[in-house]
Amino acid sequence: MMTPSVALLALIVFLPILIAFYISLTGLNQYTIGDWLRAPFVGLRHYMDTLEPQGPFASSLFNSVKASLAFSLLTTALIMPIALGAALLFNQSLPGRAFFRAMMLIPYIIPTFVNAILWRLVFMNGTGVVDQLLSALHLGSRETFWLIGPNSLWAMVIADVWAAWPFVYLMSLAALQTIPGELYDAATIDGANGPRGFLYVTLPLIRSTLGLAVVLSTINHFNNFTLPYVMFGISPPEQVNVLPLNIFVNSFVTFNFGLGAAMSVVALAIMLTPAVLYLRAARVGDESR
Amino acid sequence: MIDVGQSTMTRRRFLEVAGVGAAAVAMPGVMAACAQTGSTPATTSSKLSPATLSLFISKDTAHPQQQSQLMDLIKQTFEKQNPGSSFTWDTYASAAEEQTKLETGVAAREGPDVFEFGSTVVPTAYASGAFETITNSMWDELGGKKAFFQPQLAMSGPSSDKLIGVPWSGNPYALVINKAMFQAAGIKSPPKTWNEFVDAAKAMSNGKDSWGTAMAPADGFDPWHKIWLFATQMGAQLMDDTGKKGLLDSEASVQACAFWLDWMANFKIASRQCATYKGADEIKAFASGNIGMQVMTGPGGIPTYDQGAVAGKYEYVVGPTVPYGVSSLPAKGKPAQGFVSGQYLTIFKYSKNKELALQLIKVMTSPDIQYQLFKLRAQQPVVLETFSKHPEAKVAPWDALYDAELKSYPTPFFGSWLQLEVVLGKAINTIAQQIGVTGTYSKDALKAALTQANQQLAASIT
Repeated sequence: MMTPSVALLALIVFLPILIAFYISLTGLNQYTIGDWLRAPFVGLRHYMDTLEPQGPFASSLFNSVKASLAFSLLTTALIMPIALGAALLFNQSLPGRAFFRAMMLIPYIIPTFVNAILWRLVFMNGTGVVDQLLSALHLGSRETFWLIGPNSLWAMVIADVWAAWPFVYLMSLAALQTIPGELYDAATIDGANGPRGFLYVTLPLIRSTLGLAVVLSTINHFNNFTLPYVMFGISPPEQVNVLPLNIFVNSFVTFNFGLGAAMSVVALAIMLTPAVLYLRAARVGDESR
Repeated sequence: MIDVGQSTMTRRRFLEVAGVGAAAVAMPGVMAACAQTGSTPATTSSKLSPATLSLFISKDTAHPQQQSQLMDLIKQTFEKQNPGSSFTWDTYASAAEEQTKLETGVAAREGPDVFEFGSTVVPTAYASGAFETITNSMWDELGGKKAFFQPQLAMSGPSSDKLIGVPWSGNPYALVINKAMFQAAGIKSPPKTWNEFVDAAKAMSNGKDSWGTAMAPADGFDPWHKIWLFATQMGAQLMDDTGKKGLLDSEASVQACAFWLDWMANFKIASRQCATYKGADEIKAFASGNIGMQVMTGPGGIPTYDQGAVAGKYEYVVGPTVPYGVSSLPAKGKPAQGFVSGQYLTIFKYSKNKELALQLIKVMTSPDIQYQLFKLRAQQPVVLETFSKHPEAKVAPWDALYDAELKSYPTPFFGSWLQLEVVLGKAINTIAQQIGVTGTYSKDALKAALTQANQQLAASIT
C-alpha cells in the first residue's frame, strides 16, 4: 500500500536533491548547460571552495549564513509577540472586529516584490519617508543610509516583519479559537484569570501551534529571496547578502551552477536542523500524551 | 503579446530552478537524445512554410508605447513579406531575466526562435552552443556584413566566421555635459584628460547640492563599464588573452578602481549618495540639472534629460582619454570612449523555423525599420544605409554618439566575461558602500576586495 507514496516521495523530493548533489560535484556552467551530463566532474572542489577557511567563496558563504540566520531569527523574534498580541486582542469581542481582522491581512496579501519596492522607497536616503521623519523629529540625519551598510539589515527586517506577521497572527488566532471557553471559566473560578490564565491555560494549549509557527517562520525568512533581491539587487550589502541571494547570483548570474548547487546543499543541511529539532520535539510531545 | 513586465523571481520559482529543483536542468538532458535540431537556414525566403515565430527582446522601459508601435510596424512588414506567417513577442526587463531565459531555453532546448541579447551576453550565448552561426549566405540575405556598423560586428562572435549575433541597435557611450554649469563655472571646453576632468568637476562642486559628476556603483553594470574604460586607456587588461585568468588584482586594476572611487572619497566631486545609485538614479540626478558631467553615457538618458531641468542645456561630447596622473596616452593605452555595446539578434539552434527567423531579422534590420527604431525608441541604428536615407539620425546629439561609436573597443569575447562583471561589481560595490557610510575607504581594503574577486573569478572559470 505504501509503495506508490514512497515512489512519489522519491520522485518529487529525493530525486531532485540527488540531482542537485550530483550537480554540486560538477563544473556545470554556461559551456555545458545545454548538456549537463557533459559537465566535468570536479569532486568536492565546490565544497572545499566554500567550506575551507581559505577557499575563495568561504567568507562569502560564511557571511551569507550569518546574514540569513540574523535575518530569520530577528524577524521571527519580532513577529511572534506582535502576532500573538494581535491574535489575543482580536480573539475578544470588539466593535468592528471583522473589519480589523480583514485589514490585518493586507500586508500578507501584497506580493513580496511590491512590498520590497515600497520599502525600498521608504528607506531611500535623503528622499525616503524614514529619513525625512527622523530628520523632522530631530532623531537622525536626512542622510542616514538604510539601503547600504549595517542599517540595511534592519531595513530588511522591518520590511519583512511588516509583510509576514499576519501569517503567525492567523495561526495563533486559529489556535486560540480552538480553546473551549469553559476552560477559562474554570480557571477564573480557580483564581487564574488575566496573566495567570494566559500562562497556565492559553499558552500550554497553543504551544505546539506556536512552535510550528516559529519553525515555519524561521524557514520562510531564511529562504526569502524576493525581498532582498528587489530591495538590494544582485550586489547587496554584506549584511543582507542572504544565502538564497548568494546562491542565485552564483547560479544564475555568473552561470556557476555547480557552486550554486553546492551552496544549496549546505543551505539544505542548515535548514534541516531546526526542522528535525521541531519534529523531535513534536514527537516527544505526542509520546507524553 | 505576452509582457513579462517584472524582473523578480518568486521563492517558489527560485526553488523550482535552483539546487533543490535541479530536475529542471536534468530533464532536458534526459530529453536530449530525442531532441530535434532542425535544419540549417537556407539563404532565400522563397516558399517557406507559414509559421508563427516567437521573439524575445529587451523591454524598453523608457518608451513602452513606442516599442509596441515599432513591433506593430515590424509585424505588418513581416506578415506582408511572408504571407501566412506572423510572430509573437515577449520582453525581459532585466539582465537577470535575460540570462534566466537563456539558461532555461538552452537547458530545455526549447525557447523563442529569435533571442535578443546585449553585447556582453553574446559571448555567453555563444559559449552555450545553442545559437546558429550566421553563415556568409545568411549575411548576404541580410544585405552583407558591410551593411552594418562595423564596430558592432566585433561582438557578434569570436571570429568573422563564427558570428552568431546580427546587430540590431547600438548603444554608444560619450561624455554628457551640463552646458549651463560649465558656463557658470567659467569652463570653456570639455575636459580632454582625466586631470582636467577632476579640475572641472571640482569647480562645479559645492559639496551640497551641486556636483561635478555622478556615479552608480550599486548598478550591476556601471562599475565594470568605468573600470574597463580607465584600464583600457591605461593600456591594461582586466582579463588575460586566454580568457581564463582574471587580472583584477593587478596594480593597474587597483589604480583604475581607486580613481573612480576617489570621485566620492577624495576628490569630493560626486555626492556620497551615489553609493546607492543604480544607472537610472544617475540619469535622474543629471536630469535634475545639478550634475556637471556624466561619464560614459549612452543615448538611453535622452528622454529623461529632455523632461528634466537639464533639457536644452546638455550636450554629448567626446570624453577624456588620457589617464589620471599622466599627460599623454600611455604606450599601450587606447583612446577608448566606450566598449562596443548594443543589442543583437540571434537564431535559436533548436528553432524549427530558422529560415523564417532569418526573414524576421531581415525585416528588423531593414533601413526603414532601423529608422523607426531611432525615431520611436531613441536607439542608435546599426545599418549604415539608415544614416544615408535618414540624415537626421546623425544630427545632434546623435552626431557625437555616432563618432563615439567609432571610438569604441570590443570587450574580450569570452563566456567568462560575465563572471568578471559580477565579481568586479561586487568588490567595487562593497567599497563604495563603505565610502557612502563613512566617507572614506582604505586602499588595502580595495586591494583585498579585488584579490578576493580575482580568486572567485579563477574558481568560477577553471
